[in-house]
Amino acid sequence: MGVDLEKILRPIDSPLAPYPPKFMTVASGETLVIRQVDRDEIPTLLLAVEPLLHVERDFYDVVAARVYAELLGYYRHRMQDEYVLVGQIDGHLAAIVNGRTVNPKLGMSLHTLALRRGLRIGAHCFAAKMEYHIDILGQDEVLIVAESPIGFRRWMIEYQLEKRFEVAHELGGVPSYALTKALFDRARSSLVVGRRPVPPDLLAQAQAAILPPTDPPRPPADLLAATRAMYDSTGTALLLQRGRQELEGGHA
Amino acid sequence: MREVYVAGIGITSFSRLEYPLAEIAAYPAMGALRDAGLKKIDQVYVANMGSARINNQTALASAVVDTLGLTPAGAERIENGPASGASAVKQGFLGVASGMYETVLVTGCERMREVNNLEATDFVATMTHPLAEYIYGVTLPAHAAMFTRLYMQKYGVTARHLGMVAVKNHANAMKNPFAHLHQPITLEGILDSPEAFTNNPYVAEPLRFFDCCPVSDGGAAVILASKEKMAELGKPLVRLAGIGQATDTLAVFERPDPTDLLAVRGSAAAAFAMAGLTPADVQVAELHDAFTILEIAESEEAGFFPKGQGHLALERGETALGGALPINPSGGLKGKGHPVGATGVGQVHEIVTQLRGDAGERQVAGARVGFTCNFGGFGNNVISMVFVREE
Amino acid sequence: MERQIYAYACRRCGALHYPFRMVCRECGENGPHEFDPVPLPKEGTLLTFTFVHNLPAEYEVARLGLGVVEFANGLRMLGQLDIADPKLGMKVVGEVKVVRQEAYARRYGMVFRAA
Repeated sequence: MGVDLEKILRPIDSPLAPYPPKFMTVASGETLVIRQVDRDEIPTLLLAVEPLLHVERDFYDVVAARVYAELLGYYRHRMQDEYVLVGQIDGHLAAIVNGRTVNPKLGMSLHTLALRRGLRIGAHCFAAKMEYHIDILGQDEVLIVAESPIGFRRWMIEYQLEKRFEVAHELGGVPSYALTKALFDRARSSLVVGRRPVPPDLLAQAQAAILPPTDPPRPPADLLAATRAMYDSTGTALLLQRGRQELEGGHA
Repeated sequence: MREVYVAGIGITSFSRLEYPLAEIAAYPAMGALRDAGLKKIDQVYVANMGSARINNQTALASAVVDTLGLTPAGAERIENGPASGASAVKQGFLGVASGMYETVLVTGCERMREVNNLEATDFVATMTHPLAEYIYGVTLPAHAAMFTRLYMQKYGVTARHLGMVAVKNHANAMKNPFAHLHQPITLEGILDSPEAFTNNPYVAEPLRFFDCCPVSDGGAAVILASKEKMAELGKPLVRLAGIGQATDTLAVFERPDPTDLLAVRGSAAAAFAMAGLTPADVQVAELHDAFTILEIAESEEAGFFPKGQGHLALERGETALGGALPINPSGGLKGKGHPVGATGVGQVHEIVTQLRGDAGERQVAGARVGFTCNFGGFGNNVISMVFVREE
Repeated sequence: MERQIYAYACRRCGALHYPFRMVCRECGENGPHEFDPVPLPKEGTLLTFTFVHNLPAEYEVARLGLGVVEFANGLRMLGQLDIADPKLGMKVVGEVKVVRQEAYARRYGMVFRAA
């Protein structure tokens, strides 16, 4: 009985060509490896994403909540044709990007979550995602939305994405933009960077384990100061969000 | 005019601070008061550029003096674009030098990251000429870029030289616990590797991402005091020996030689004249490297190197931490960060730390004379200062 | 309708100013607003330029060309560039167009193309 129900509930994934891993030098002189992960590595990623649910700045909380759901959906076979790529430096997790295919020719970019900041790793991994859709999977276009203003400036404006406002992206129904093959080819020289194949020992290190991020975004040191900075004199916004009331009685 | 000394200093991390603006001003002020051993102060100056526009708060000084519990001391906010910090220090100097006050607290603060990067860029662009520059979409990086293009053509400065400034300042910032960026970078990563130009994209050509300082929140404070007060407090004697200020045309294109920074030149000369010293007497300098090209250009205009040869001194390693004249041991604006109103005060904080011998890993050995240059607008309002360690 | 950008000639000594200032830089003798408007020339030489990538939100282009142009009468101005491959010292010619859209206001300024 259980097996039959699962057959109905579980989507059947289309065969998708795997993403060939690549490596590149980042501004610090360190080496970033970008590779695809399979379901068995998702639990490690969930551990790294969960703390970001409590980081309210830069839309980390919203992105983390959605990425967590997408990763879990992938892991538990409740999301069709999703892929997950990670960026690692010395084995440590630096970024997670994901997306899915809507049909063989149309992709849907989901999220880009940078766990190490200041080195444009999010930008590198986003570009890798686009390379996957257009070059590796041979799709015609990818639908994209941005949750944060920085993402908007970097992707929509810089690459002159086409508006697809008639399509509501599944991330909250916001109007979509599209990266077409034509736009991708025009921006190819700046988008498709990185070298292949990855040297064997570097790839082996990355595949051996996904180590925790070295300097991930953290919640504010002083919670009440942060609520004052958000012009919330009750101090309850962040405390409630965390599901804890840390202070009984009055507070400043 | 009486002699004026620095009695106390305080600073926050320059980074992304989730505190209200008035607290960002108060925190380093409390540090400076504690350092000086003072509970009360005669007058407060708050240096800040964006409180009205970014943080929706006017009359900031009144908020700061209140949150510090220093009422009924007098207080004003001093705004002079990115030179707000040095302007506030100058006001503090005048207050003590004139005999009107025994002690003055100067605290610089900025909370840039209350708004997103696009708004921060536009806010900074409001410094430009409203009709002749702002309406064209010019930004400060655009001004620096047009200046850089001419500097490259006239003096042979290359992208590599600019990269060397960034690498040096990032390395220095690693030794500064308060710096915004604790991230070493390499020339390979930002210029040489096949992926370098994705790591280091154009911001305004030819300037790239790692040629421009980050957008930071932060605060820094100093306390200025009379000689008599210093004797009471027993702190090391660091004297603000010279201050010079000069202005230039608001529209950058109106300047006769577009590769000159005459306001830097004039303010530095005036500061040295007042201190009775020359550039050769300086052992450590904090220059305003909002863009890497500016560290090179200012090092020349201040008189440390001949005009057009600053990049050669950089090449020879003279401006590195172990060199003949370390520039920006704190990491400069590039590595330490640039909370606009706090920057000028932050430069003073670093020089005083150096002259007191408290700079730890980034200490310039035997530093007795220090120099700061706080660059307002795109060089249209510049304040230079000379500090001297006595006894 | 051909629009102009104006420079200002001091009524006492004739010195030209762009942009406007209240007091003549040469003689300092004029009273407030004692200037005559003089249209800026349209032909000039490109002194320096840049392409700005990090723009304020209302500019929905990937990059914006800006340059400083020098006129024969010695005046200079900053303008937008509609030039794909600018070179220092090239001859340019300008036209007054919309250079910025701020909320509901249109700002006019000079846009230069290759002469």
